[in-house]
Amino acid sequence: MENFIFVILIYTGIYAIAALGLNLVVGYTGLLSLCQAGFIAIGAYTTAIIMNAFNTGFWESMLLSGLVAALFGFIIGMPTLRLRGDYLAIATLGFGEIVQNVIMNWDSVTNGPMGIHSIPEPKLFGMALSASSDQAKPLWVLTIWIIAALSYYLIRRLIRSRVGRALEAIREDEIAASSMGINTAKYKVGVFIAGASLGGIAGSLYAGYSQAIAPLTFNFMMSIMILCMVVLGGLGNSFATVIGAIIITIASELPRLIGISHRIPPQLNQVLFGCILVFMMIYRPQGIIGRIKLNYAKILKEEILHTEK
Amino acid sequence: MKKLLVVIFSLMLLSFFACGKPSDTLKPGFKIGFMGPLTGDDANYGKLMSQASKIAIEEFNEKGGFRGFGAELIVEDTQGRVEKGNPAIEKLAGVDKVIGIIGDVFSTVSLAVAPKAEAAKIVMISPSSTHKDLPDKGKFIFRDVINDDLQAVVFAKYLANVEKVKTLAILYIKNDYSQALAKAVQDQYEKEGGKVVASETGLQGDKDFKTQLTKIKSKNPEALYIPNYVAEIAQILEQAKQLGINAKIYSADGFSQPQILELAGSLANGVIYTQIAEQPASNARKTFEAKYEKKWGEKPDAFSLNAYDGTNIILNSVVATAEVIDGNLKIDRDKLRDEVAKTKNYDGASGKITFTENGDLVANIGIYTVENQKFKQIRMFKLEGQKLVELK
Amino acid sequence: MNFFNIPSNELLQHLINGLTLGAIYSLIALGYTMVYGILKFINFAHGEILMIGAYAAYYFYSFLYDPAKGSSFIMAIFIAALLIAMFASAALGVLIERFAYKPLRKAPRLAPLLSAIGVSIILANLAALFFGTKSRKFEYPFDNTIIQIGSLNITPNQVMILGVGFVMMVSLKLFIDKTKLGKAMRATSQNQPVASLMGININRIISLTFAIGSALAAVAGVLMALEFKVYPTMGTMAGLKAFIAAVVGGIGNINGAMVGGIILGLLETFGVVILGIPQGLKDTIAFTVLILILLFRPSGILLKNIKEKV
Repeated sequence: MENFIFVILIYTGIYAIAALGLNLVVGYTGLLSLCQAGFIAIGAYTTAIIMNAFNTGFWESMLLSGLVAALFGFIIGMPTLRLRGDYLAIATLGFGEIVQNVIMNWDSVTNGPMGIHSIPEPKLFGMALSASSDQAKPLWVLTIWIIAALSYYLIRRLIRSRVGRALEAIREDEIAASSMGINTAKYKVGVFIAGASLGGIAGSLYAGYSQAIAPLTFNFMMSIMILCMVVLGGLGNSFATVIGAIIITIASELPRLIGISHRIPPQLNQVLFGCILVFMMIYRPQGIIGRIKLNYAKILKEEILHTEK
Repeated sequence: MKKLLVVIFSLMLLSFFACGKPSDTLKPGFKIGFMGPLTGDDANYGKLMSQASKIAIEEFNEKGGFRGFGAELIVEDTQGRVEKGNPAIEKLAGVDKVIGIIGDVFSTVSLAVAPKAEAAKIVMISPSSTHKDLPDKGKFIFRDVINDDLQAVVFAKYLANVEKVKTLAILYIKNDYSQALAKAVQDQYEKEGGKVVASETGLQGDKDFKTQLTKIKSKNPEALYIPNYVAEIAQILEQAKQLGINAKIYSADGFSQPQILELAGSLANGVIYTQIAEQPASNARKTFEAKYEKKWGEKPDAFSLNAYDGTNIILNSVVATAEVIDGNLKIDRDKLRDEVAKTKNYDGASGKITFTENGDLVANIGIYTVENQKFKQIRMFKLEGQKLVELK
Repeated sequence: MNFFNIPSNELLQHLINGLTLGAIYSLIALGYTMVYGILKFINFAHGEILMIGAYAAYYFYSFLYDPAKGSSFIMAIFIAALLIAMFASAALGVLIERFAYKPLRKAPRLAPLLSAIGVSIILANLAALFFGTKSRKFEYPFDNTIIQIGSLNITPNQVMILGVGFVMMVSLKLFIDKTKLGKAMRATSQNQPVASLMGININRIISLTFAIGSALAAVAGVLMALEFKVYPTMGTMAGLKAFIAAVVGGIGNINGAMVGGIILGLLETFGVVILGIPQGLKDTIAFTVLILILLFRPSGILLKNIKEKV
């Protein structure tokens, strides 16, 4: 039983990292992006390909995957300067589909529809982290959640800095922000790069853990699921995003977790999942936790009271 | 909305009671898992195969199980996806503690979960994963479906040397099954001196192949090879006719799903395809097919025959190796694996089954066709070295 | 005559194939665009509404289908099936709006999107549960033997798709431009509060929009069923493609949806043919061109790019 729970925790952690990245773009900056699965795919395939071709270690590959995904984030981030709202969403959706389609057809590099299923096992302090071994699972959980915590911390630092305030200004009113002297182009592309690199790292971890990847995994539905995590928790709130990732992963594995998956028709699992989405949105449209807004007025008041005393 | 929820929940409860009971008289003994897509685009393949495994388990229990211990089938949906397959096998291994698994349906998922099955000492017999690397994943990993290479080599040799077809066009889908067969046939056919004039691709889920077929038509090939699943094959057959393509059409074991007869109607007549050869002397296939149709109201495909045989091989091996000590059932997983590996000339519904040393299937290949809306085996071949030998 | 080294009759064949595909996309795209125009959100369940309509038509039609009864009888039940599909989808569309979207009208922008995704998952899987996962054949209501014009092959069904698509689009256009209700719809999409001040019942107009959009989807569903069979996931990919078509045309713009659909259909067939690369890459070509179109016409092909002001 515990192994099964570990696996779910591992996937939750991977999704949480990708969702944290997407939240930067969608939640904090207000740009609707539908291609996080594309960045995850790029990360996963970069790791798989370079580990096999150049015998690099997993952790170096992971960083490189983050960089490669960031490069693609830059490429797809550029059009965001011109496109607004749903047109941007479509451009990113198209990009995600292109990534999957190219992977599917570029047989000589990506092995096409077969996927890559001989990814060497990552090593941590000399210990092999094999997907099939039970001893490695708790270690995987720990590693992935440490990376997730690190991403969380970095995003928190970023958001509480000048950058975060600039992003918030762009989200609330882009034109006003730019007239305040904020270089919106720089920030928007930057946020795309950051979001993409987190997606790439999540993908790399996915490849490292599963040691087998196939192109169909990284489809549009995966982007949507990650978007659901971001929205369900509460936009523009990293903590809520992590909660969203946990809820969505658990909800989709719920029948297996409570041991009824083989007793009910499999479609009902999915129907149940759909119902959870609809009901959550109807009763908590702002997300389970919602956006945490800094109440500037209150802070200011306290400051003044404080100094008066 | 509330009403809808009530309906859904009552449905769930209903099905919970409906199919939850293993058997009334038997003691719970051991569990066998089934992994495959039960939702999503390819759900029908998983459904047909899991139904076949269910029949095998029921037959076993009806016969009294093993000294009063019954078997239970745990069906897990993988949606044909690696990331759903991993939790599924952890659940089967950790929670249900299955001794064997029938699955996965897709090569990509089988390849991903095989190391786990190996580590947990679960005998895994895939009824439909044809990728050549699968049996090398471990000693507990088997398959009772013909691998791409064997099927493709026999077919290409048959096409070039027996039917003497000179030019071939191939239309395949970008999925693991279709592409592997297409590539392997292309290689072998060219080695035999044939000419592949067009090799066109489609995407998973595509239903419109007119563009590819229009291109193929302009190359005017003698034959068209479509190693796909039936939903696509039916479309290709129909659209090929609409575009006026006269090439003779060939396919592979994916064609064997009886639904093709419904979907393609008379267009299915005359298509030639390959599948494990049916033993002329054996009634196993006919008996199973009749039983399957009676129980589920539909006919099984070739992969379901494999799923049924795979389940039976595991069950028989349990009977051969299990012991009852102090009223408890003891199954030694290593012994079970060795017993499965020893399988030789097993007279199954799909044909004669023998496992090679690494767990792959040795089988004779049948050449089948459709005549008056009925599948029919017309010839039977086996490969001896590189030579095609016809069996009578 | 040769273009790109492809004989012109083959090109013409591709053109016909692309147009029929495009006509189907256009019909679906209309529903997206209408709903978007009024509610400013993407109705992700549109593809599933189409699928339910196709199943409704299928069950009615195949229950009564009997070749022995003559071609006029079959044509009659086909038309009846088409109407039933339109009605079923329209009712479903209105119902979904009432339960899953209406409570979210004032919610943050992405909330109805998620709700719609939920509805789409529910519908697709309920369909798989109740109708089964296999594809079902929708018999042609007429003799579908090819019509040969020179070396060109056209099926009567392709002609029908083009014809029905054209008629549907023209009548929708007339309805929106010329009738009072159409005017009310346009007013609602431009400015809801003001429209309601003018005495327009906003709720009724929204319901009407969903009904019409869904009915059009059902027509597309039945046409698709004839061409590509009926199965639970039939609407998913087509819905996604049509949604892209709607945006490329300029989302919220009826003409744009039609143009966008046709462009996408042609891109999918011609893109790879002209470049001479495998058909498996058609999505890459189609989407790359679409992104480029968006870059040069950031608000879609038929919409003027309105500069935002403070």
